[in-house]
Amino acid sequence: MKLALKELRRRPGRFATATVIITLIAILLMFLGSLLDGLIRSSTGAIRAQDADAIVYSSTAQASFPRSRIDVDVRAQVEGLPGVEETGGIGLVQLGARVPGNGPRDLANVALFGYQLAPNGVPEPPPAGQAYADDVLEADGVEVGMTILLGPARTPVEVIGFVSDTSFNGQGGLWTSEETWRATLIENRPDAQLADGVWQALVVRGDDDVASQIDAATSGATDSYTVTEAVNAIPGVEEQQGTFSQIIGVTIAVALVVIGLFFALLTVERLSLYGVLKALGAKSMTIFGGLMVQAVVVTLIASAVAAVLVVLLDLLIPPGSIPIFVSAGSILSSTALLLLAAAVGCSFSLRRVLKVDPASAIGTTS
Amino acid sequence: MFLALKEIARAKTRFGLLVAAIGLLVFLILFQQSLQNGLITGFVGAIRNQNAPVLVYSVDGQRVIQGSIIPPDLEAELQTVDGIGEVGRIGQGTFTGLPSRSSETFDTTIIGYELGPDGQGLGAPIELAGGRYPTQDLEVVASTGGDFEFAVGDTIVLQPGGFTVDVVGIADDIQLNVAPTLFASYDTWSNAVQSVNPDAGEPLPNVIAVAPADGVSDVEVVGAINARSLDFDALTRADAASETPGVAQVQQSFQLIFLLYGLVVPCVTGLFFLIVTFQKANALTLLRAIGAPAGRLVWSLLIQVVLMIGGGLILGTALYYPLSQSRLGGISLRFETGAVIFWSVLLLVLGVASSLVAARRVLRIDPIEATTGAGVGV
Amino acid sequence: MNALELSDVRKIYTMGDGSDVVALDHASLTVADDEIVALVGPSGSGKTTLCSIAGGILSPTEGRIVVAGEDISDYGDKQLTAFRQQSIGFVFQSVNLVPFLNAKENLTVVDELGKRTGKVAQQRADQLLEELGLADRKKNLPSQLSGGQRQRVAIGRALMNDPKLVLFDEPTSALDTELGEQVMELIRMEMKRRGTSAIVVTHDERITQFCDRSVHIIDGHLAA
Repeated sequence: MKLALKELRRRPGRFATATVIITLIAILLMFLGSLLDGLIRSSTGAIRAQDADAIVYSSTAQASFPRSRIDVDVRAQVEGLPGVEETGGIGLVQLGARVPGNGPRDLANVALFGYQLAPNGVPEPPPAGQAYADDVLEADGVEVGMTILLGPARTPVEVIGFVSDTSFNGQGGLWTSEETWRATLIENRPDAQLADGVWQALVVRGDDDVASQIDAATSGATDSYTVTEAVNAIPGVEEQQGTFSQIIGVTIAVALVVIGLFFALLTVERLSLYGVLKALGAKSMTIFGGLMVQAVVVTLIASAVAAVLVVLLDLLIPPGSIPIFVSAGSILSSTALLLLAAAVGCSFSLRRVLKVDPASAIGTTS
Repeated sequence: MFLALKEIARAKTRFGLLVAAIGLLVFLILFQQSLQNGLITGFVGAIRNQNAPVLVYSVDGQRVIQGSIIPPDLEAELQTVDGIGEVGRIGQGTFTGLPSRSSETFDTTIIGYELGPDGQGLGAPIELAGGRYPTQDLEVVASTGGDFEFAVGDTIVLQPGGFTVDVVGIADDIQLNVAPTLFASYDTWSNAVQSVNPDAGEPLPNVIAVAPADGVSDVEVVGAINARSLDFDALTRADAASETPGVAQVQQSFQLIFLLYGLVVPCVTGLFFLIVTFQKANALTLLRAIGAPAGRLVWSLLIQVVLMIGGGLILGTALYYPLSQSRLGGISLRFETGAVIFWSVLLLVLGVASSLVAARRVLRIDPIEATTGAGVGV
Repeated sequence: MNALELSDVRKIYTMGDGSDVVALDHASLTVADDEIVALVGPSGSGKTTLCSIAGGILSPTEGRIVVAGEDISDYGDKQLTAFRQQSIGFVFQSVNLVPFLNAKENLTVVDELGKRTGKVAQQRADQLLEELGLADRKKNLPSQLSGGQRQRVAIGRALMNDPKLVLFDEPTSALDTELGEQVMELIRMEMKRRGTSAIVVTHDERITQFCDRSVHIIDGHLAA
């Protein structure tokens, strides 16, 4: 152990190549992890923020707001359920917003929600013509007190405050009253307008397991989800997670191969030294333990450097450009995965270490 | 050559493992290349493979067809732009569709365009794989591939509302957003929108398809339209496809993966041959001592590198071929000959370059060490 | 008590084609306490095998080996490893110091691999280096030492565990005649001063003059 650490200190050059490669891999891994977190955050914030026990869409909507339609009768059926305490309508319209001071073709993407029950962190619905904006829109130049113009009809909405982590589909959330939402919909998306009293979806508060009872109560007219289920049902979320997991998996495999080969090379180079150490009474496990310590230290150094660089990168990237969300969690999990890869990769050399014969130290010259 | 082949013959397992490793990497690279192309075709095939050379979005749409809305005044203004030839409305919506031969519903995209006399008005699929173009309302050309395999004669019922359309033709690579996609008349689309939402007003067109007048290029028309109003966002067909949000991200993600692979293959070959060179240091020293020129030993090493990578490429391509004929989720894969050639050349070059480190060690061997037994130094 | 008693030791290697090669045939050898024995023979004579068996690196096919009263004939790998750690000193042909450790650390590494006495080992290493005339070279890496100095570090390493028996494998083969003689002088002096016995494997008759007696080995047979 001490021997292994001394070699690292005295011969850093020998480990430099591997450290650099693993650092690059670690950066990639942490960046990908943060990007995934950021993307998922920015596409699911509005749903995660819901203070609800169930989110109810119509049965044919595939959990998509624009395709969902809950009319007055269905809502009444839901409200008639014993486990239901409170329901609130919610509706969405996704539009481009013109922000004062920005270029004429430089639009901010907004997801305008009309709501009745306030999500976590969002105040009660504001007066007509006003909205709480998600703070990601600050990157587009949106400020409190500013009036932004929505959609082709240039519907004006005044921003009266900011809320956090309420984005949807990568678009900054804009939280308005029912009246503002309906007006914006009629002016900009006549094809998607809904009659008074008809909402796209319902937010339901009540018993914890209420989500499972609603669909039966509406005779299958609805499709109800818990908040977690609704997050996963957002189109694209699972696909995104799948793609990224695949990339992360490949990256880990690459790290494993690189570490495996590198330590195999190191072992081959040192076979005669190991012979001597074994003749002197070193156990195979002591020698292999040394290799393992080196792999772990190299990986830890690489991960630490990568973590610093990724945090710096996060600070340098202008807000709103790439949706990365750097957290200690994703950095630590990347590090843990790399350590695992290092340990497994290093184990490929175990057989070689075990096979070293102490007798090779005697009667040979090098 | 003799030495190189003899050594491989004597150490079949070791060299076999290397070929297998490289083959696996090549397979993964080619597979992901197909996946990328299939994914992008699945995302924007409907834009690439429709016949309108120029598509005009509203700036508000941010280059998403469904997000774009062309109000009547804007549509009227477009007609007055110089250089415009034919124009046609296009509408798009996503529905929940139940095909007649299925008990399961699918996300179904309908793209409505103005049929014209032969069903090939602006916005129609360029080429059909079977059947005919629609000539009246409620007839559609359906995409092949994807979650559900449509055939001529199928009907599809939209939920809720029961709006029904008939498949009269099918076409390859016309999906949008990796969903089964139906090309229908503009009115069919408009009625479909109203069928699922009785509260809907008259839908406005999402984009306007434009063909330039005779003697005017696509790019000139795009420039003229965008210069007319800040609310227009005209794009050529190719740009409309590549600028669709998500397409660039998909390409970037895959490029990142390819870059990784491009790094790994030379790393693996380079390290492998370095290890092999160390292990046979004594033999190499001996060969040098008995008069083998260093160049010959390096040559033998390079022959091995080329053989290993060549073997890996053949193995990888052989694994890739059957998979490239299949379909993954809603995405059809293809055998990409260009990708095979590109990666073969690139990996050979990178592999040979990386093994030069091992070659350098070989060149540094001093034949005198055969007598002292020092071999290749560390 | 004798430092080493080999009785009727045989070592047979089975070759790849199934044939047997007898490397050591009914070898018997006793090395008394305090005695330095030269083991002389041409290459392939079996002297390396004998040395390896005496040092607990190889197990014999048959026969009995007793080192300082400890019978190691039936020891398994683990026991042999521990035995080597505690009772044997080795000096190898090409010195074989750990390249990235300095002179003193090359001595203390023996302690690292074994019981770990820490401070005691540090003091012992200092003392040995002092005695070997390397007090001012403690911090030097092997690459910064001369051939003779490296050989002395190797001797120091062999003495670290206060061995019952030190095995020298061609200790002077990499040195010129003058330096070789100096090293042998040193070996004799250090062994005698400690009363440690040693076997010096060599094919060079000239160095036998530094030993108490010579044993010749030819084709696996010992002859005094």
